[in-house]
Amino acid sequence: MSADKHWHLVCYDIRDQKRWAKVFKILKGVGEHLQYSIFRVRMNKTQLEKLRWQLSEIIDEEDDLMIVRLCPACAKRVIDSRDEEKWSESAPSFEIF
Amino acid sequence: MSNTIENEDIFQSHFLAEKTTDEPLIRVMALHALAYCERLFYLEEVEEIRVADANVYAGRRLHEELDKGSKKYTLELASQELGIRGKVDYVRTDAGELIIYEHKKGRSNKGNQAWPSDHLQTTAYGLLVSEHFNRPVKELRIRYHADNKTIIIPFDLDKAKEEVLNAVKKARGLRSSLGRPQVSVPEKLCRACSLAPVCLPEEERFVEEEKEKPLRLFPAEDEKRVIHLLEQGAAIHKDGYQFVISLPDGNKKSIPGANVASFVLHGNIQISTQAIHFCAANDIGIHWLSYGGHYVGALQKGAGYVQRRHRQYETFHDPLFKILLVAKLCRAKVENQLKYILRATRAKRSNETQGQEALQASINSIRHEIKALARIEKSLSKTGNETITQHDKVIGEMRGHEGRAGREYFKALTCILNLPEDNFLYFNGRNRRPPRDPFNALLSFGYALLYKDCVAAIQAVGLDPCFGFFHTPRSSAYPLALDLMELFRVILWDMPLIASVNRNQWRKQDFEITGQQVWLNKEGRRKAISLYENRKREKWKHPVLKYSLSYSRTIELEVRLLEKEWTGQPGLFARLRVR
Repeated sequence: MSADKHWHLVCYDIRDQKRWAKVFKILKGVGEHLQYSIFRVRMNKTQLEKLRWQLSEIIDEEDDLMIVRLCPACAKRVIDSRDEEKWSESAPSFEIF
Repeated sequence: MSNTIENEDIFQSHFLAEKTTDEPLIRVMALHALAYCERLFYLEEVEEIRVADANVYAGRRLHEELDKGSKKYTLELASQELGIRGKVDYVRTDAGELIIYEHKKGRSNKGNQAWPSDHLQTTAYGLLVSEHFNRPVKELRIRYHADNKTIIIPFDLDKAKEEVLNAVKKARGLRSSLGRPQVSVPEKLCRACSLAPVCLPEEERFVEEEKEKPLRLFPAEDEKRVIHLLEQGAAIHKDGYQFVISLPDGNKKSIPGANVASFVLHGNIQISTQAIHFCAANDIGIHWLSYGGHYVGALQKGAGYVQRRHRQYETFHDPLFKILLVAKLCRAKVENQLKYILRATRAKRSNETQGQEALQASINSIRHEIKALARIEKSLSKTGNETITQHDKVIGEMRGHEGRAGREYFKALTCILNLPEDNFLYFNGRNRRPPRDPFNALLSFGYALLYKDCVAAIQAVGLDPCFGFFHTPRSSAYPLALDLMELFRVILWDMPLIASVNRNQWRKQDFEITGQQVWLNKEGRRKAISLYENRKREKWKHPVLKYSLSYSRTIELEVRLLEKEWTGQPGLFARLRVR
C-alpha cells in the first residue's frame, strides 16, 4: 500500500567505475543529485523498497550505501547552500511547460 | 556432490520441457499464489495483472543479498510430468542427501510452522529437484528472516506428488476459465496482498455484507505528477532513467522518470522514440491533444487484457445489461446536475431576486426528468430480459430525458453565473465545435482534459474504450470514455470553473476571439489546466464507500467499480453524487 512519502538522503560509495555509473543513472531517475555521491529522493515505502532492490542488484559487498529518512520536521531544518528548491512537504501534482 | 550440481547444465531440462509441452507450464511461484488465494492466482497468472508492493521488492532484495558472496546453486528446473517450472533458491547436500532451502522475508506461522503457500511452493521445488537428479530429497527447509526461524519439513515423495498435482490441476482449471473467481479468503489475507488496490476485495465485502464502511485498500492519492506541455516547439527526450524537457528558448529541465504519471502534449510538441519506449515500459501515459484542445490519441501498449475485454464485449452485447447501466448513468448525471444547482442557488432561492422564476422552472423540469428516468429504471427491474423487446427505443427515451435535463441545467447555469449580458463571460446556452463564446470555450477545454483522464483510467484498468454502452460510436471519440465522463462533468469541471468565474479569475486577454470562434490562448490554457489539475488533487469523501480519496483516483475507482458490474459484485457503479 502506498503510505506517506518522505524525503530520503541516499549516500553511496561505489568502488568500481562501472557499477558507480549504473547506480548514478538509476538515482537520476528517481531523485535529485545534491552533491557528489548524495541524492535526495521523495518516496513512500514501496518506491523505497523498489529502489533498494534495484541497487542491490548492482552493488557489491565492498560498496557502501546509506539511506537516511528525514521526518517532515527534519526536512524543514535542512540547511542547503544551493537553496534552490525548498525541502517542502508536498511536491506539485502537475507541471506545465 | 556439490560439484555435480554446479556443473549441471541447468537450462537444458527447462527449455526442453517448455518446447515439448502443449500446455504452458505453471510457475511454482504461481502455485504459491494459488495456495494464498485463487483470485490472486487468476489475476496474476491469467489476466497478467501484476502489482509489486513494498514486500515484493523487499523479498527480491533479500534474494539478491543472499546471493552475494556465498556459493549459490540456484537451479532453474521444469518438469513436463508435473506441469510446473521454477527457480529453486538453494540446494545443499548433507552427507550425500539433498536438502532444499527456501528463503522468506516474512515471519513463520506461529513460530513453528510454515505457511501453507510456502509449504506448497517448497514441496514443488522438492519434486523438481528429486526428478532432476533422480534422487530422493531428504528434507525441505524454509528460513523465515523476520523472526529468524528455520522450519524443517521431511520430504515424502508420494505425498508431495499428490499435493502438487492437485494444485496443478486446480491451476489449469482456473487458467482455462474466463470468469474471475470470487473473493473467498479471510480479510486479513487481503490486507497483506499486493493486488488489493486492483482486486478491491473490501468493496465487494462492503456490498455483500452491507458493512458500515469498507477498509480502504485503494490508494487515496496519485503519487506521480502529470506533465502538460504547452510551449510550441518543446521536446521531450530520455536520458538514462530521466526525461529531459527542452524548451525552444534553449532552457532544459530534467525530470526523474519515476516522478511522472503521464505527459499531455498540447499541439506541436516532440517526443523522442526512446522516450516513448520508456513510457510504454514504465506505464507512463502519453496523451496528444491538438493545439485547440481536441483529443488526438494516446499511447496504447501492445496486446493484453484479453479476458477483461472479452468479458466486456460479452456484457455490452447483452441488451438488458446495457439498458440497466444506461439507466444508472443517466440518473447519476442528472441528479448531480440538480444537486449542484440546488447547492449553488440556495441563498438565491430564499430571497426574492431577478431570474428566480426561470431558475425554479428549470429546477422543476430537471426534477420531472429525474422522475421519468426513475420510472423507466423501475419498470426495467421488474421486467425480465425477454419482455423488453425494444431496447433501442428505451435507451433513446432515456437519452431524451437526459438531454432535456441537460438543456435545463445549462439554462440554470446562466442564472447561477448571473453575469450582465455585456460581460465577456456571459453564458447563454451550450454550443461547441467550435465554441462561440469564452465560457463555452472554457467548458470545451475542460471537458477535453476530463476526457483525457477518462481514457487514461479505462486504459489503466484494461478495458476497451471503444466499446461503451450509452454513447453511439463516432469516429474520433471513445464511447466508453464519453460514458464515464458523464459522471464527472459537473464535479470535476463545471463546479471549479464557475467558482473561478465568481472569483474573477478570467480576463478577456485569456481568449483568442476569431470571428465566430473562441479559443483559449496560452495563458488561458495554463490557467484552465491549473484549475483542473488542482481540482483533481482535492480529496473528498466518497458518498457510498465513505472513505476519502482524491478526485483523480475516483475516476479510476469508478472504472473498477464499472468492471465489477459484470465480474461478480454489481451495485457500486455510478453511485457517486455531489454533496
